[in-house]
Amino acid sequence: MDFKPSPERQILFDTLKKYFENEYSLTDRNISAHSDLGYSKKAWEAMRDLGILESLIDPEFDGFGGTALDISTVFEALGRGLVVEPFLEVGILAAKVLSRGNDYQKSLVKKILENDCLPILAHSETDTEYTKSFVETTLSKATDGSYTVSGIKRMVKHAAEATHFLVTCRENGDAFNEEGISIACIPTDRDGIKIDSFATIDGGRVSDLTFTNVNISSEELVGPLGKSYSIVSQAIDTGILAICSEALGIMERIKELTLEYLKTRKQFGVPIGKFQAIQHRMAQLLVEIEQARSSVINATIYFDDEAEREKTISAAKFSIGKIGTLVAEESIQMHGGMGMTWEYDLGHYAKRLVLIDHEFGDEDFHLQKYISL
Amino acid sequence: MDLDFTKEQKNFQIEVRSFLNETLETKVVEKVKNGVPITKEDSERWHKKLNEKGWLAGTWPKQYGGQDWDVVEKFIFEEECGSAGAPRIVPFGVGMLAPVLMKFGSQEQKDYWLPRMLTGEDWWCQGYSEPGSGSDLASLKTSAVREGDFYIVNGQKTWTTFAQHANMIFCLVRTSNEGKPQEGISFILIDMNSPGIEVRPIITLDGSHEVNEIFFSDVKVPAKNLVGEENKGWTYAKYLLTHERTGNANVAVSKRKIQKLKKLADDAKKNEQPLSNDPMFASRLAQIEIDLQNLEITNLRTLAAVEDGEAPGAESSIIKILGSEIEQDIDNLTRKSLGKRAFVNEPDALSSGYNGAEVFPKAAAYASGKYFNHRKKSIYAGSNEIQKNIISKLMLNL
Ligand SMILES: Cc1cc2nc3c(=O)[nH]c(=O)nc-3n(C[C@H](O)[C@H](O)[C@H](O)COP(=O)(O)OP(=O)(O)OC[C@H]3O[C@@H](n4cnc5c(N)ncnc54)[C@H](O)[C@@H]3O)c2cc1C
Repeated sequence: MDFKPSPERQILFDTLKKYFENEYSLTDRNISAHSDLGYSKKAWEAMRDLGILESLIDPEFDGFGGTALDISTVFEALGRGLVVEPFLEVGILAAKVLSRGNDYQKSLVKKILENDCLPILAHSETDTEYTKSFVETTLSKATDGSYTVSGIKRMVKHAAEATHFLVTCRENGDAFNEEGISIACIPTDRDGIKIDSFATIDGGRVSDLTFTNVNISSEELVGPLGKSYSIVSQAIDTGILAICSEALGIMERIKELTLEYLKTRKQFGVPIGKFQAIQHRMAQLLVEIEQARSSVINATIYFDDEAEREKTISAAKFSIGKIGTLVAEESIQMHGGMGMTWEYDLGHYAKRLVLIDHEFGDEDFHLQKYISL
Repeated sequence: MDLDFTKEQKNFQIEVRSFLNETLETKVVEKVKNGVPITKEDSERWHKKLNEKGWLAGTWPKQYGGQDWDVVEKFIFEEECGSAGAPRIVPFGVGMLAPVLMKFGSQEQKDYWLPRMLTGEDWWCQGYSEPGSGSDLASLKTSAVREGDFYIVNGQKTWTTFAQHANMIFCLVRTSNEGKPQEGISFILIDMNSPGIEVRPIITLDGSHEVNEIFFSDVKVPAKNLVGEENKGWTYAKYLLTHERTGNANVAVSKRKIQKLKKLADDAKKNEQPLSNDPMFASRLAQIEIDLQNLEITNLRTLAAVEDGEAPGAESSIIKILGSEIEQDIDNLTRKSLGKRAFVNEPDALSSGYNGAEVFPKAAAYASGKYFNHRKKSIYAGSNEIQKNIISKLMLNL
């Protein structure tokens, strides 16, 4: 048995890790993450030049990666770097959806790599429903064979700069029905789209998108009419694998920061890491983080196994949600006041880690899902 | 056992309630109830109204403009304020420094400083912590050297809440290096406008500005600003900390926050049902409610002991731990209940002048921010680990 990554992936991980340590300053990151755009175009382009997007995308679309292991490796590194640029939204969610589309839509995946296009999946509709099949946005056929799309998509990340929205919608069926879901690829300059955007706690911006009778042609549907649930579903599962791996990278970084602090911060004449009360808390964090890593490895192993994927993905997302919040809270506590400051890195990692639980289903949702599977 | 209020106490409760009803500003209550920060001006207007009624410092003796409230009256007042969504009375002056001055200050100090707390002429902040001295407060280094009628103060304080608003600070300073570290500390009042003082903001992880660093270089402080005796400051500081901690049960505020959380959960949907019907959510919420009910009684038991003349001792540590953790649990569940909306961070969304997109539900404006900001509750006023050390030592004799 061998849990070590392949030499190529190890090199990829080490290269990215080094790059983020040397080139991706957290101070700059925090400024752009909380700016009106929500990320840095300069950093995005530099990282694209580095080939990060290619490593997430299949060779069929000019990438050189795209397997579960590639994605997990890259996102763990992105987590360590606390990268806020839209790799998840564009490199995973949008690319996965478009790669199942027609020739034109497939060509958009290649355009992502050339930085000519920034497609964003607009799927989520209510704040608290995490079920993947929840879609109420309507798709209505007009007499001339074209369609209109109407509905509201909520809390879509990095939407403001998008070139295309990939909008899930349905002609028929109830909100939770997997049958009836279609995907429309809509250029963002199309009439009838309203964007309300908000600052976020963990960086990047989120938007509510209102589509009012937005016209599309039948060629602008991605995948089969009414039968595209599996496309979104797989894209989201891949997204879950990605952010669980991101969370691992964040936790490892938090562990390093905290351990370093326990060794250097002195109170009562000794490093605070000498207090047994603190030692046990830190030891517990280590135990939990190891469990989190195992949950992600498990999800990666079974990712291409149709029968097991959803269950191991839910197990991983549950573990990451539960452990992530604990790691964030405990590491802040062990830092005392220092953990509360904007200037120090820890808090920014902690915020992203906790908010990962709010994306694609929280720990409660995935525990219930696990039970149901 | 008798947990009922007397007739007088019930009447007082009604009086407080109707006062709050008539006096509180809707705009400010909306901010408080939705957990977004209020401004300095919001606080000052509220202090002023309370002072006009004589309730800004109800626990103070009548001679200083208080009402001589006993612990039950104080409890009733705080309970009513908490549930009405009144702004918190900024505690540094009336709640912290005042008890110290009344017990250890000179007559001149009492006569001068206490009335100014009521009128709002002084806004106080608390200068205890230093970069090297947090939990180990007694190791503090900021020095005060006596020169004629003055002390010359040098050093640095940190984490000072609202120093940006304050014109006065009460400080622990080192006046002697002999003996145990606790034996060389003095308690002194310093004008923030003195030459040689520099205040620098510390921004917290949620992006807000409430704490600061303060640098003192050769700051001249009149010797008459020394409270009590030189080198006895540790005793006064500990006296103050016990007061700070008993005020940390926050039962009424937590109750109000639970009501708000229930409302949010009734309005949110999970699997087409109200989130409040979700068994996982309901279980989390019920556990917090039970913890809070228990704390309410634990807190009342502590108050009853104080009423019987026992000084609050290590019991205040129990209250501090529970009060902070329960409030953190509520903030945690509130964040969770908002689902994806928890990404939003627009703390100004309820203030005039905000021109971004409308935040709905309003509580989402700062729910995650608040959750992160309130991690401070288990850190400040003596971290919860330090409280456990106190319990181990004083109650368990370990
Ligand atoms: C938002 C905020 C507002 C504040 N406002 C004020 C203010 O107005 N005025 C003021 O004077 N101070 C203020 N403080 C400071 C606060 O009192 C200190 O942060 C607190 O005392 C902890 O000190 P520290 O931050 O240096 O942490 P440290 O003392 O360095 O502690 C770090 C960690 O080690 C643990 N630890 C330390 N010693 C032990 C031990 N012996 N056994 C087990 N564990 C231990 C702590 O519990 C903590 O988890 C504020 C702090 C915050 C965060």
